[in-house]
Amino acid sequence: MEINKLFDEYYEKSLFQGGSTCCPGCGGPMFWRMALEAIGSNSIIYGDGPCAGCAIRNIKLPTFSIHFSFAADGATGIVAALNAKGRNDVTVISAAGDGATGDISFGKISAAAERNENMIQICIDNEAYMNTGIQKSGLTPFGAWTTTTPQGKEAPKKRIPMIIAQHRVPYVATISVAYPRDLKAKITKAKSISGFKYLHTVMPCPTGWRFDPAKSVEVVRLGVETWAWPLYEVENGVLRLTLKPKQRPIEDYLKAQARFRHLTKEQIDYIQQEVNNERQRLLDLDGKSIIT
Amino acid sequence: MGVTRMLEGNEAAAWGAKLARAEVVPAYPITPQTELISTIASFIANGEMKAQYIKVEGEHTAMAAAIGASAAGARVFTASASQGIVFMEEALWMPPGMRLPIVMCMVNRALAPIGGLRPDHNDSLLQRDTGWIQFYCENSQEILDTIIQAYKIGEDKRVYLPVAVCYDGYFASATAIPTNIPDQKDVDDFLPPYKHEMYNLIPGEVKTRREFPQNIAKARYEVQKATERAKGVIEEVDKSYDDKMGRYYGGALEEYACDDVEAVLMTMGSMTGTARDVIDEMQADGKRIGLIKMRCFRPFPTEELRKFAKKYKVIGVVDRNTSYGSASGSGIVAIEVARALYSLDDRPLLLNFHVGLGGSDVTMRQLKYIGDKILDAYQTGKAEDEADWVELRDLGEVM
Repeated sequence: MEINKLFDEYYEKSLFQGGSTCCPGCGGPMFWRMALEAIGSNSIIYGDGPCAGCAIRNIKLPTFSIHFSFAADGATGIVAALNAKGRNDVTVISAAGDGATGDISFGKISAAAERNENMIQICIDNEAYMNTGIQKSGLTPFGAWTTTTPQGKEAPKKRIPMIIAQHRVPYVATISVAYPRDLKAKITKAKSISGFKYLHTVMPCPTGWRFDPAKSVEVVRLGVETWAWPLYEVENGVLRLTLKPKQRPIEDYLKAQARFRHLTKEQIDYIQQEVNNERQRLLDLDGKSIIT
Repeated sequence: MGVTRMLEGNEAAAWGAKLARAEVVPAYPITPQTELISTIASFIANGEMKAQYIKVEGEHTAMAAAIGASAAGARVFTASASQGIVFMEEALWMPPGMRLPIVMCMVNRALAPIGGLRPDHNDSLLQRDTGWIQFYCENSQEILDTIIQAYKIGEDKRVYLPVAVCYDGYFASATAIPTNIPDQKDVDDFLPPYKHEMYNLIPGEVKTRREFPQNIAKARYEVQKATERAKGVIEEVDKSYDDKMGRYYGGALEEYACDDVEAVLMTMGSMTGTARDVIDEMQADGKRIGLIKMRCFRPFPTEELRKFAKKYKVIGVVDRNTSYGSASGSGIVAIEVARALYSLDDRPLLLNFHVGLGGSDVTMRQLKYIGDKILDAYQTGKAEDEADWVELRDLGEVM
C-alpha cells in the first residue's frame, strides 16, 4: 500500500505518464522520464515519428508532432511564434529518431543548426527504422543485422554529433540512459544556452537489437564502457570527454545483442580497430577545439 | 480611403501580408514568387512590418515551420510556386486536418518537365484535394484584398482552414496596376488579432490536447463540413469588405456582362482581364455571350453555379491546365463544373478548351475563337465532347 502511494505520488509529479505504447524495455519512456526532470514544465515538446512519437504521446506538456520527415522544422515555427509573442522563457525541445536525423530530415536539422534556432534538438537513436519493422538507417552501425541488411550493414554509422558540431553551434553532446546524472546535467546546461543545442542518445531497443528487454540499461552501458558510444560534449567548438571509462573489448557489447551474432572474427577485429581509432582521436582532442 | 500606388502582383501580396499583420513568415525563394518575399524582407528590415522572417532551406520546411508557428498561435503567411508547391505537398495536407488558418500565395507556374517559368494552374490545382480554400485572383488589387479576406475567412471559427491565394506568375505577379492600399486602421478594424479557440501550444494556455481521431471518417467529415461552411463565410466576408473598403468580388463566382445572354465563357486567373475585353468587343458586334469568372475553386461553388446555370444554354470552360487521360480529355475546372451540372434536370451544354499551357499568352484571338465556338454550340444545340486544344490551331496573328 505504502509502495502504491509512492508510485502515485511519483506519477503525479512526473511529466511522463505511465502506460506508453512503447515495447517492453524500450529506452524511450526511460529517456523522457529522466530528461523531463531537467527540461521542466515551461516547455513545448515537438517530435516526429512512430517510435519517438509513441513515447511523446505520454508527455504531460504541450506536444506537437507532424511526421518524421519534419524534424526540427515545426519546432522552428514554434520558436518563431514564441519570439513574435515575446515568450523567450519557454524551452522548445525538438526530438527526432535516427531515420529522421540521419536520413530523411538530415537537411532540416542541418538548416536549423545553420540558422542557430533557439531549441534543443535531440536525436533518439535506436539505430534503425524500428517502428516499421527494423530496416537499416544511416545511423545503423557497421555489421548490424536489420531486415534490409540481412547479411549485416556494409557502411559505417554516420557521425551526426560531429557533423552538427562542425556547424559551429553553441552546444553538442552525446548522452546515454545508462548515465542519468550526466544526461540531466547536459540537458540543464543546454537549457541555459541560447541558440541551437544538439543532444544525441543511443537508445536501447530490445526488439530491433535482439536482447532480453530486462537488460536495456546494461546493454547501453556496455556501449559506453566499450567506447562504442563515448560520452562527450562540444561547447563552443571545444571537445570535452565527460566520461573516460576503462575500455572493455567491443566483443562484450556485440555479444550482448543478437543483431551482431553473425559477425566473423575478422569483422569484430575491424570494429575493434575502428573503435580504438575513434577513442584515440577523441582522447587527443579532449579539451581542444575540433572545429575544422 | 488609403493610398493608390502602382503595384505589381507580388508587391500587392506583400502589402496584403503586412496589412494583415502576419507575425511569422517562413519562406523559400522560387521564380516567380521571389519579389513577394523580398518585399516582405525589406518591410521587416525597414521596421515597417513586425514579423519573424524564417529563411528556410526549402519549401517543405517553409510549410512545416508555418504549421508549427500557426499551432503555437501566430498569424502565418508564406508563398511558393510550381515545383516548390509540389515539393511542399506532404506538408500541405497537414493544416486542413489540424485546422490551422495559414494563408499562402501560390504564384502559379507550370510544372516540369513540359513547363517553363511562366504560368498554368496545374501546380495549385494539384492541391485541390488537400482541404485548402483556393482563390484565383486576376490582378494586384484583388490579390491584396483577397489576402486580407483570406485571414478573415480562415480564422473564422466556423472554418479554421488554410487559404491559398493563387495568381498567375508574370501576368499577375509582375504586372503593375494602380492599386489601392487600405489604411492600416481600416484593416485592423476588419481583421482582429488571431486567436485560435480550438487549441494552442503555449504552456499554461493549452486548451485541448490533440488526440488521434478514433473515427477517421468522422474527423475527415469535420473538415468537409468546414469547407462547406466556408462558402457562406466567403460571401459574408466579401460583402463586409465591400462595406468597409468599397470593393466587392462577387464572392465565389463573378458574372460579367451576363444580362440577356444564354451562352457564357468561364475563366480563372489573369486571363479574365483579357476575356472581359473580348466579351465587350463581341457584344459590341452584336454577339450575345457573357463571362463567368471562377474566383473560388475550393470550396467549389456548386450551388451558385447551378443557380447561374439555369439561365444559360451553353457554358464554355477555359482550362489553363491539363489532366492527362481525364474524361473527354477535360481540364480540371471542366471536370468539376460537369459534376456540379450533372444533377440538374435541364443541363446546359458544356464545352472545354485548353489554353495558355506552360504560360503561353492567352490571346484575344484565342478567346474570340472560343467565344464563337460557344455561340456555334448555342445555335446548333450540339457541343464537341473532346476538349479543344486551342493553342494547336493556327488562328493567325496574335491580336
